[in-house]
Amino acid sequence: MLRFLVRRVLGALVILLLISAITYFLFFFLPSDPALLSCGKNCSPQNVALIRKNLGLDLPIWTQYWHFMVGIFAGRDMPIGHCPAPCFGYSFADQQLVWDTIADRYPTTLSLAIGGATVFLCVGVGLGLVSAWQQGRAFDRIASGVSLVGNSVQIYFLGPIAIGLFASSWHVLDRGHDPDWSHDPWGSVQGLILPCMVLSVIFWSNYSRQTRSLMVEQMSEDHIRAARAKGMSSRYVFLRYALRGAAASIITIFGIDLSAVLGGAIITEVTFGLHGLGLLSVQAVLRSDLPLEMAVMLIGATIIVVCNIVVDAAYALIDPRIRLS
Amino acid sequence: MRIRKARHASAFLALGALTLSAACSSGGGGGTGTGGGEGKQATVQNFGIGTAADSKGPAPEVPGAAKGGTAYDLDQAGFDYLDPGQQYVSDQLSVQLLYNRSLTGYKIDAKTGKTILVGDLATDTGKSSDGAKTWTYTLKDGLKFEDGSPVTSKDVKYGIERLFADYQTQGPQYIQKWLYGADYRKAYTGPYEGKEIPADKIDTPDDKTIVFHFQEAHADAPYAAAMPNISPVPKAKDDKQKYNNHPVATGPYKIASYKPGKELVFERNTNWDPKTDPIRNAYPDSWNFQLGIAEPGLTNRLAAEDGNDKYAVNLSGSSDPSKMQTLTTDAQYKSRTVNQYQPYVEVININTKRITDPKIRQAIMYAFPMTQVQQAFGGGAQGELGTTLLSPTVAGWKKYDPFGKLDKPTGDIEKAKELLKEAGVTGKIKLSYAYANTPRWQNVSLTLEKALEKAGFDVQRKAIDPTSYYTVVGKLDTPYDIYRTGWGADWPSASTVVPPTMDGRNLADGTNNYSFLNDEHVNSEIDRILAVTDIKKQNDEWRTLSEYVLKNDTSQIPFIFDKYFNIHGSGLGGVTYNEVYGTINPNTIFVKQ
Repeated sequence: MLRFLVRRVLGALVILLLISAITYFLFFFLPSDPALLSCGKNCSPQNVALIRKNLGLDLPIWTQYWHFMVGIFAGRDMPIGHCPAPCFGYSFADQQLVWDTIADRYPTTLSLAIGGATVFLCVGVGLGLVSAWQQGRAFDRIASGVSLVGNSVQIYFLGPIAIGLFASSWHVLDRGHDPDWSHDPWGSVQGLILPCMVLSVIFWSNYSRQTRSLMVEQMSEDHIRAARAKGMSSRYVFLRYALRGAAASIITIFGIDLSAVLGGAIITEVTFGLHGLGLLSVQAVLRSDLPLEMAVMLIGATIIVVCNIVVDAAYALIDPRIRLS
Repeated sequence: MRIRKARHASAFLALGALTLSAACSSGGGGGTGTGGGEGKQATVQNFGIGTAADSKGPAPEVPGAAKGGTAYDLDQAGFDYLDPGQQYVSDQLSVQLLYNRSLTGYKIDAKTGKTILVGDLATDTGKSSDGAKTWTYTLKDGLKFEDGSPVTSKDVKYGIERLFADYQTQGPQYIQKWLYGADYRKAYTGPYEGKEIPADKIDTPDDKTIVFHFQEAHADAPYAAAMPNISPVPKAKDDKQKYNNHPVATGPYKIASYKPGKELVFERNTNWDPKTDPIRNAYPDSWNFQLGIAEPGLTNRLAAEDGNDKYAVNLSGSSDPSKMQTLTTDAQYKSRTVNQYQPYVEVININTKRITDPKIRQAIMYAFPMTQVQQAFGGGAQGELGTTLLSPTVAGWKKYDPFGKLDKPTGDIEKAKELLKEAGVTGKIKLSYAYANTPRWQNVSLTLEKALEKAGFDVQRKAIDPTSYYTVVGKLDTPYDIYRTGWGADWPSASTVVPPTMDGRNLADGTNNYSFLNDEHVNSEIDRILAVTDIKKQNDEWRTLSEYVLKNDTSQIPFIFDKYFNIHGSGLGGVTYNEVYGTINPNTIFVKQ
């Protein structure tokens, strides 16, 4: 296991380095000029040149990249002031320290992703299990229909409807706001219920169908029949043997879906007006804000890479047939 | 000169978001419009210059107003700059009114909307001498910073000195250039190395008096003195770029908390004396700006006015175009809407370096389908048909329509064909047309292409990424023949419109003469008019010159006078409009008790 982890972590570092380089250099292939974007109403050639210098864009690209990467680990001195490690620089757009902005925004995205994933895993897997148990009966058919509908809707469509019904018309749920766990934990929960529900819908319907399918498949396996032949109860076999067999596949899907959850979080944040990394990344790209783009990209990639390592490691714990080396 | 902030954020609009942006050219963005009904009739203000009596505080009471409560603002973007030295775009111009005071400012009558320029920190709009080269301002008594220290003329001078520092790249540069010329940064580099601007440029003979000695005559100096950056900054609190997060207040509010891009809260500045302020009523006890609220959710919130949204307004952003149909036709919103002119004129620039024959340019003008484009733009509530290069928000504006566009607003194809024939064009003439790739401008481009094809042009449309749109069309060697831009005056005088957009000297990449017009008559007239010291006469002269350019050069085709349209919560009263900034005026707003 240790060798596996070391190898995967080293591989992850290489992947992250490649992502950082590709993102950084791709930025300079775009026709958009951040200095021109930042010059507002004073776009004289002199002013553009001054802005380019202030942003550090007058240096060779390799030098800029080197300074950027060094700053992440060692911090650096910049025209605005010292930027302590991990330094992603100052935003081109609003001159705020990028790391401060990230630190301010990540709790929202993390809360949304964890909350949404918890809901869609519980509801999706739960529904799938019951559907498989009730295979062919009314519950199974209704659950399949609901899942199909859930799988078809989109966040930007469902979100405004949910806000309109639950918040504006019935006043039973908060319309969604940023969490503030240190000062108002209960208010934070209330503010996340609707966004998490909406984010989870597109996922739980899929998990419900997948879980049902996997469980039905497992129940027809030879080892399940053998267990039943030994006199074990149907429920025990269902939960003890069939579920364990299906779990590895569900975890695999979850690992793949992690990036999709973050993607869904972006649209959810925009729909509900939440200030998370998703909304921040959209703004960074649209404003050619290189430091912010780099920070969001690298942090997002790091989260996905780490989670995938954790998922891979989890296989071994769930399925003793798998050996990591 | 002002470009809307959309230059930065237009693509965000394309995602179903934004309408906001900076002052100078209206942005490349905008959602798709569904037409909608006509908005309320916008009014044109006369923008006079007030007297010393008009400059005395307190501001006239707004009927029915009461003090107290919290007013909310829902804002699609955030504020890139709170440092008054760096503020230039419409959203920043509106928010700074709460905490920042300049030498002069705009006093808006809450009943009539009449807007005049008055002394804000100064006792009047300034006294000129030496043929309008020298301007003297006297500060009022009782002016204080938020910490209680008195505001002196030396603080105003220091506020101007820091505008010369390298990091100050965003704010207006009029005063700097008027003092030292276009290369002002070479002459003076700011106060951080211990050097002051000498007394023969800016003199402060005592704590109350500040005297500007400009290189040339500037009749519109009182207007330039109303820009946010002509304001005091206490030297001890100035930490260069970081001042952006904690500007020291002289206005009725000070910053209580600020989370960039998320929330900005103002509380009362107890050291502000209403008796010194003729402009600001400051009725609410606090202001809460909620930032980064994406459209169309923002408009939906204002319409639904749940909870605190009942007391909310969007100071600088227009309603999401997708909601225009509902908001302009549903009677329940009528009492909560504001629909007024913005300072921007939407034009199609014709690249005069590529299309050199004025007859061909006029053919494009005649073929231009104004009515259809207006519908694609978002309907009458978002923009009125415009036929002048100056906006109705500019002093001295008059109707002018040399090509009879208002008589034939759908386009005069036959006349266009006739002109092309006169120009010796045989067969289809190629026309490369660049447009910002957003829903609004996609729609407009299709409409325009259809009309121009009928007139005999072979239109080659090219979608440009909104974030690089101005970069692409602003290049001297841009490969496009026509493209849309927008421009608005910094103050109600065309001196901030005609020179930057029509002077052909010093053409370079990224300047604002997007048609690359270089007409010697225009160039020399600009110099002559700039020297006119009577501001009313100067305004008339600018108008005449802009009419000359329109009729003879036809380097730009004006088609829309932009309009602000939005709704506000029913819990707010005294919602007036600042036509100079093109935003809601926060000074008169009160929370209904």
